[in-house]
Parts: sequence; structure tokens; C-alpha cells
Amino acid sequence: MGATTTQAGVARRRTPTPWGSYLTLAVAVAVMVLPLVWMVLAGFKDPDEIYSSPIQWLPATVDATNYASAINAVPFGNFFLNSAITTVIGAGLKMMLGLTTAYALVFLDFPLKKLVFGVVIFALLVPQQIVIIPNYTLVAELGWINTYQGIIVPGLASAFGTFLFRQHFLTLPASILEAAALDGAGHWTRLWRFLVPISAPTIAAVALVSIVAEWNEYLWPLLVVDRAEMMTLPVGLTLLQNNDGMADWGVLMAATVLVTAPVLIAFFALQKRIVSGLTAGAVTG
Amino acid sequence: MSSATAAPQRQRQSRPSTSDPKATARARTTRWARRAPLLPALIFLIIVTQLPFVATLIISFMNWNSLRPNDTSFAGIDNYISVLTDQGLRASIITTIILTVTVVLVSLLLGLGLALLLDKKFIGRGIVRTMLIAPFLIVPVAAALVWKHALLNPSYGLVNGTLTWVWSLFGSDNPPQPELLSQAPLFAVEASLIWQWTPFMMLILLAGLQSRPMDVIEAAQIDGASRWQIFRYLTLPHLRQYLELGGLLGTIYIVQNFDAVFTLTSGGLGTANLPFSIYQTFYTANDYGLASATGVVVVIGTIIIATFALRTVFTLFQKEESR
Repeated sequence: MGATTTQAGVARRRTPTPWGSYLTLAVAVAVMVLPLVWMVLAGFKDPDEIYSSPIQWLPATVDATNYASAINAVPFGNFFLNSAITTVIGAGLKMMLGLTTAYALVFLDFPLKKLVFGVVIFALLVPQQIVIIPNYTLVAELGWINTYQGIIVPGLASAFGTFLFRQHFLTLPASILEAAALDGAGHWTRLWRFLVPISAPTIAAVALVSIVAEWNEYLWPLLVVDRAEMMTLPVGLTLLQNNDGMADWGVLMAATVLVTAPVLIAFFALQKRIVSGLTAGAVTG
Repeated sequence: MSSATAAPQRQRQSRPSTSDPKATARARTTRWARRAPLLPALIFLIIVTQLPFVATLIISFMNWNSLRPNDTSFAGIDNYISVLTDQGLRASIITTIILTVTVVLVSLLLGLGLALLLDKKFIGRGIVRTMLIAPFLIVPVAAALVWKHALLNPSYGLVNGTLTWVWSLFGSDNPPQPELLSQAPLFAVEASLIWQWTPFMMLILLAGLQSRPMDVIEAAQIDGASRWQIFRYLTLPHLRQYLELGGLLGTIYIVQNFDAVFTLTSGGLGTANLPFSIYQTFYTANDYGLASATGVVVVIGTIIIATFALRTVFTLFQKEESR
């Protein structure tokens, strides 16, 4: 007891109210958040307010005119639906592939396992832009231009989930699966009934990263989709910019708010799990 | 670990093998039948990840322009010579390196500073952390559009608008009006990427700070170590693997950046990095062979940059496997 009070005393003496730190933090928060606040404000401004000198900080009225124009100028409902479909299916398939591949890499004995893992790691280093040419040629030949499978399938080549799941599986005590194996559970049961339930934080982290990656994906959908009804939200934003964004970026900012909001909401809902899962999987403590 | 879980199986099958070779074969078939549902995923993953790269490698040695489909032939290393001698492509290699190194280093440093500030307890820490993370969550294209129009518009953007406002407060009507997008386009791209990536570095380093062994640090405090000494000799060595992880992931993503360059500057004025050049060679010039060769050069570059960091990742594996 006496020791703790001395320690607290030491800590208190060493840290007087750190006004400098608070000030630095306040500036940092301002720099990080102001662009976003400005984006939201611009979404409510009419052209006169945006193109005003001196600068007009706040919109005179908060109305949804820009949002309505954005939704009417381009098929926004389609963009949203396409993004949702490609994100859910793409991220779901990525998770399945990652879980089963990691299971095989950790719990199965097969020849050249080290080499196979090396190949998977190598995939982490090959940027998606590199393989656009063979992928595009193949997708075009299959007649998959402007289709969901054209957008989704080449993107499944992600080793990130496999990597994190493998790291996580390696930290699990062997006894859990030994017990399951003695009960006669097959690999499939072991994976879904025993491993998945105790891997929730890692799965949440990989799910979030995959969902965000699919939602944000830009270059590939830009290449394989040229019909407006099949575009995803990021590609649709470019279409909106090219159509009338240059003239009035209030509309464009309203659209970026619509595109960004789902990711922000998903993050704030899952925040705690994500941070712990990501770092627990990637770094050994 | 894998051998431990496979052990019960091996025991089960080793018994019949001494008496009956047919039983061994049967055991092997059942073993394969049990594995079977899992291996397709592995094989599929290898195919989708590796075959396109092999195809890229092959195309990079070919003369292939989709505008002249009948003129396809083997080109040897001509495409690679073009990559390394072509002025534009060589410039884009340098741009990629400058862009990646600047963004990764600056966002690591800023992220470290913010993480150190956030490591202390204070009222409202959760809200501050959430607000600092926000830029990382913005869809990259949306972020680039915000920077291009709302922030960096030369007459009506937030940056120049604020400058005009501040100067007018002091009665000056001649404020500086930098046109970043045309005068310092690479800096504009870097600034927008640093804005997006600092939160990511901050998150990783904050996790590192919070996993420090506090008893050692308290002992050092009692022994009269200064704050700088604690940071230099206790915190920094502990953070090393977190710094390397952030650096590695950041490098992998920023080398590949396309969205910011394409949206902010359309690759003009010396901001074309390799991914943008590949896009241009492929999409506009339709030179599949040259674009593929450029892609292979990017992969080799990424591997060289990442090797140092990867070595640490592998030592992490070893530590983990030896546990």
C-alpha cells in the first residue's frame, strides 16, 4: 500500500498539467477533422455560398438540395446497391477463403507447406495494379465486363486474411483441437464449431479490413465497368465529378458524405474489437 | 503446432499399417477425403493470386498492343529496356519512391507523436482518439475529391480562403494564395495521403505503447530516469516491431496508390507514379507488353523495399513458433 502511494506521488510530481500536450492535441484534432467538417458543410451550401469571397464558413440554411441533385444526376441507388452487393459477397468469400486456407496451412500436413506459405506471403507483395492486364484480358474474354463476377472474382486474390488467420491459429493451444479430434470431429467441424467461435476478434478485424477494402476499391471497377447502372460508389463519384462536379462541388461533397457515412458508422459500431483484433493478430505481444 | 494436432490421426493409422498394407491405403484415402473440403480453397487462392502474376510475367516479354492484335510476338527484354530508358517511366519510378518514403516516414513520425500524447489519461480521450482516426475511414476517392475541390481550390478552397480571412483580420488585402495543385502537385498528393495514413500509424503505435511492461517503466522512474531516457531506452526499443509493422503495411499500400494521383492531378506535372503509369500504358496506349514489364518492375521494387521489413516479420514468426 505504501509503495503504491509513493509511485503515485512520483508520477504526480513528474507530470504537471501538460498544457503543451493539450494544445498540440487540439491542433492535431483540428487538422484531422476540419477537412471532414468542411466536406459536410459544403454539402449544405448552395453555389453562391461556396463561391464566395471572403470565405463563408457556415451555410445559411441546412437543406438537402445538394443531396437531391446528386441522387438525381447519377443513378445513385444503383451505385449503392452495386457497392453493397460486391462488398458483401466479395468480403464474405475472402473471409471463407482466408479461414479455410489458414486452417490448411496450420493444422494439415501436406508436402511443401513452407513453400505454399511463402507463395501466399508473396501474394501480399504483388500489387493489384500489376495483374490488371491478364485479369482484364481474361474477364473480357469470359464476357464478364459490366458484371458482378467481373468486379468480384479477381479481387479475391487477397492473402491478408489468410496471413492474419494463420498468425491467430498459431497462438491457439493445441489441446482444443486435439479434444475435438478425439471426439471424431472432421476438419470441417473443427474449423466451424471449435475455431471460429474462439476467433471472434480476429474475424471481426479481418471482416472490417475486407469490407473497407471492397467498399473503397477503385481502379479495378473503373476498368471493368463502363455502364453507369453497374458502377460502384467510388467509380460513380468520378462520374458525378465529370458530369457536373466541376461546376458545383457542393453536390459532389454531398455525394462524398453519402459514400463515406456507412464506413464511419460501421467503424464506430465495431471500434473496440477492431483495434484489439488487428494488433493481436499482427504483432506478438 | 500442426504436428501436435495431426498426432492423433497418425497414431490411429500407424496401428493397421504394421499388419495390412491395404488398410494403410484406406486410411490414406480417408485422410485425404477429410482434408478434401479444405484444400480447394488453398488451391483456388494460389491460382487467383499467382496465375495472373505468371501471366503478367509472360506478357512482359511480348510485343502486344491490343490495337494491333495480329502483331503479337516475342520481344525478349525490349519492354524492360523501354521501362528503364523511357524518360516518363523512369521519372515515375523516382516519383513512386519519393512519394512512398515521404508519406510513410512523415505519417509514422506524426503517428508516433499523437500516440504518445494519447497514451496519457485525460478527460475525453476516447472522443479525441475517435476523431483522430476518422480520416483513415474516408473512402480514398472521396478524400481525394475533398482535397481537390473543397480544400485546395485556388480561389474558394478552405486553405486559401482561411489565408485570405486571416490576412484580412490584420488589414491586409494581399494574402499568399498558393496554388498547390499546380505549383506543388506532388506535395498536394503527399499531404492528402499523410492526412489519411497518420491515423493508421497512430493506431498501431498506440497499441504498442499500451502493451509496454509498466512495472519496468515505474521502476526506472523511481530510479530517477528522465522522461527522455525512458523514451529512448525503454519505449523506443519496445515500439520497434510496431514501427516496422506500420512501415511495412504503409509501404505496401502507398507504393500501390492510384486513387489520389488519378483524382488530384491525373498524373500530370510530375506526379505520375508507377501504378498510374501502368494504367496509362495499359488503358490509353494499349501497350500490354510494356505495361506488364512496368508492373514486374514495381513488384521487384516492392520486394526490395519490403525485404528489410519482412525480415523482421519472419523473426516474429520464429519467436511465435518457438513459444
